[in-house]
Amino acid sequence: MSHAGPGAAARPLDRDALRARATVLHALRSWLHDHGYLEVPTPVLVPSPAMEATLSAVPAAEGWLRTSPEMALKRVVASGLPRVYELGPCLRVDEDGPWHGREFTLLEWYRVGAHLHDLMDEVEGLVAAAAAALGVPAPGPWRRVSVRALVAEHTGLDLATTDAATLSSRDPDDWDVAFFRRWIEEVEPHLLGPVFVEDWPASQAALARVRQDAAWPTAHRFEAFLGGVELANAFGELTNAAEQRRRFEASAAARRAAGQAPHPVDEPFVDAVGRLPPTAGIALGVDRLVAVLCGWSAIHRGRVG
Amino acid sequence: MYNTSDIRNGLKIELDGAPYTVTYFQFVKPGKGTAFTRTKLKNLLSGAVIERTFRTGEKLEPAQISEATMQYLYNDGEAFNFMNSETFEQVAIPESVIGSDAQFLLEQMEVRVLFYKNNPVNIELPNFVELEVTYTEPAVKGNTSQGATKTAKMNTGAEVQVPLFIEQGELLKVDTRTGEYVERVKK
Repeated sequence: MSHAGPGAAARPLDRDALRARATVLHALRSWLHDHGYLEVPTPVLVPSPAMEATLSAVPAAEGWLRTSPEMALKRVVASGLPRVYELGPCLRVDEDGPWHGREFTLLEWYRVGAHLHDLMDEVEGLVAAAAAALGVPAPGPWRRVSVRALVAEHTGLDLATTDAATLSSRDPDDWDVAFFRRWIEEVEPHLLGPVFVEDWPASQAALARVRQDAAWPTAHRFEAFLGGVELANAFGELTNAAEQRRRFEASAAARRAAGQAPHPVDEPFVDAVGRLPPTAGIALGVDRLVAVLCGWSAIHRGRVG
Repeated sequence: MYNTSDIRNGLKIELDGAPYTVTYFQFVKPGKGTAFTRTKLKNLLSGAVIERTFRTGEKLEPAQISEATMQYLYNDGEAFNFMNSETFEQVAIPESVIGSDAQFLLEQMEVRVLFYKNNPVNIELPNFVELEVTYTEPAVKGNTSQGATKTAKMNTGAEVQVPLFIEQGELLKVDTRTGEYVERVKK
């Protein structure tokens, strides 16, 4: 593919697209500044990459290039700064397509004491600010719906009582893979209007808190979709260090089972999780936001590469 | 076997007992999920297009497909007979496989023939062919009005919409993909 990274032929630069991207970057920073957020740059080269088994980090020097600034920013929040953000490059191996690049721009922000619905309001505000700066109509109104309701709407299945083989006959042994295949084939293509999808299965909690009380446990987590594209992912953040350590160990076991080397546990991060006040955090794909607002069919037009 | 990273437009794979060619593919990966490649696949036997999603790491079976350049010889009433341009081997291809392409087949024309498990399953005509008008209404002199057309019957049997100034006996360039007139060819 033409955007495969180093070694691939360089694409011609699109000056108007670069201007549009700069306009959005400026609008995002202004909005965050006006809402009391402190920009905190954290290292791109990190001693331990993201926990999730589905993310692959680029190895570099004595560590990895970050897949997100999540662990560093949580240490910043735990140190006593209640509203922080970072806007910068992140890297993930083997992600290449119209809406994926090995290197991409992530905006991640954390707000102590916030509910997930507060972050939805903030996404609406940020996207509207970016649209206004570009001179395009702000997307909306945003719908708010649970994963379970959305899957029922498009497939007629109740996730709480549906096994993997029924979700996808091709993935009878892995509920999450079966779920995502069904999701990609039958639900995601319909998410054209702006929508927040809430209450993801507990097995896909990553670094979010889990509601254990419900009959079907879900994570304190939502995703924002805009123009059919996954734009952002938010967590009601896990603040239990022992549970964080257990998830690292489960992820390491999953990596070993998949024939990959487990990553070292980031001890300062686990320690910081135990000191986190109740916090909500979110990561938003900035290249995707620019592309959707500008009506492009891929993220690469607004990037130098 | 192919991997999901081999998926490209034109890749031919075997699926559920039929050969397919990839006509569209896109990498998709939910932020907190596994990576997949979403594809559109065209059945090389029926022409039907299906959508299929492959999980990264899934294996794909190559289709038992081969291609050859062959020259059209004649229609014996039961089948269309072709000769391999390299080996001179002759193959009879039934009308059901040729389909509507028959209207553009001219003797000695070279086409690409697709074989599945050694049986011919499809032919691919050149994009443009030069055919002779065997009948059309007399030309209207000086009439160059935009868009006005009449029907012309070609020496292969095809009926093509042509501009009003075209005469019987003229040689025309025709697009086999659309069946449309392109231009006059000087003899």
